[in-house]
Amino acid sequence: VKPEARLDRTIEAVLASGLLVSAALLLLGLLTGREPLLRLGVLALMVTPAARVAVVTLGLLLRRDFLFALVSLWIVAVLASSLLVALRS
Amino acid sequence: VTSTSLLLLSGAATGLVGSMLGLGGGVLLVPLLTLALGVPIRTAIAASLMSVIASSSASATVNLRRGLVNVRLGLVLEVATSVGGLAGGVAASLLSERQLHAAFGLTMATMGVVMAARSKRRNVIPDLRVDPGRLGGTLQEGETTFVYRVRHLPFGLGASLAAGAISGLLGVGGGIVKVPVLNTFCGIPIRVAAATSTFMIGVTAAASAVIYYARGDVALPLTAAVCLGALPASLLGARLADRIQARALKVFMAAVLSAVALQMGLRAL
Repeated sequence: VKPEARLDRTIEAVLASGLLVSAALLLLGLLTGREPLLRLGVLALMVTPAARVAVVTLGLLLRRDFLFALVSLWIVAVLASSLLVALRS
Repeated sequence: VTSTSLLLLSGAATGLVGSMLGLGGGVLLVPLLTLALGVPIRTAIAASLMSVIASSSASATVNLRRGLVNVRLGLVLEVATSVGGLAGGVAASLLSERQLHAAFGLTMATMGVVMAARSKRRNVIPDLRVDPGRLGGTLQEGETTFVYRVRHLPFGLGASLAAGAISGLLGVGGGIVKVPVLNTFCGIPIRVAAATSTFMIGVTAAASAVIYYARGDVALPLTAAVCLGALPASLLGARLADRIQARALKVFMAAVLSAVALQMGLRAL
């Protein structure tokens, strides 16, 4: 397997598990009418793309592709700053 | 019960179309929720952002497996999108809602015409010896492997900046701007443009979604229903897109652009 394809597989696994957890929580929350479950489901959903970005950054660093890792770090920074804005409001 | 099934259906419909065309689907879901179901606009935007995350992550899993996502290109464009997202928030206060709708409608109408006019042109080169360059790549279609090169990258970056700004302004992922520009001006095959756009959109949406969530705009049961509808539909849509001819996808995209343009234009009047 080429390294490019291996990173793709890892990203795929991260996205799929995030969605699975979130979908299970949302479904259970809707069926039982429990708000905390829905809340957790929505949070899991928002964490999924962030986890994907983290994995890509790590993968690029491990591959010593520093230029693209830097590009990816920028996106981490943007996500972090929007989290800061969210926490302050 | 009826409204829950309606919400599931709305999520499913937008997830299906969105994943086929590389849109998050927000551009369709927000009007559907506000106009047809009477949901307040802020609640609709928040729910739409969540469903965009669900839809784009789901289709990304399918597209990654198919080798359609150009991760490097996505990363480079995401830099512009994120800056655009910040700029969009600032610009929103400078423009009236009417001017926003007019500008958006006009852009969409132009892109729809360009897209339809160029639907016959192909971006791929059936010669494997051609160097795809640092950001280009290859695309497998049936038995044949094609090469594509990225042209006019500044155009693509500009479109991503605009997409980010629109995302910040209107709560949509911005795929409706990126996909047509990447395809018609940057030489990226429609499938790769759609898959790469979808891949990026989840991050763009997540960045604004947390802010809406913190403000308490996320209506939990409504959002859950929309997302649960969008998930399976997006998986299906991403698979279906593979069986449809590139030309048909472009014509479909042109039709969606015109519909959105018309609706935006009417609101500007």
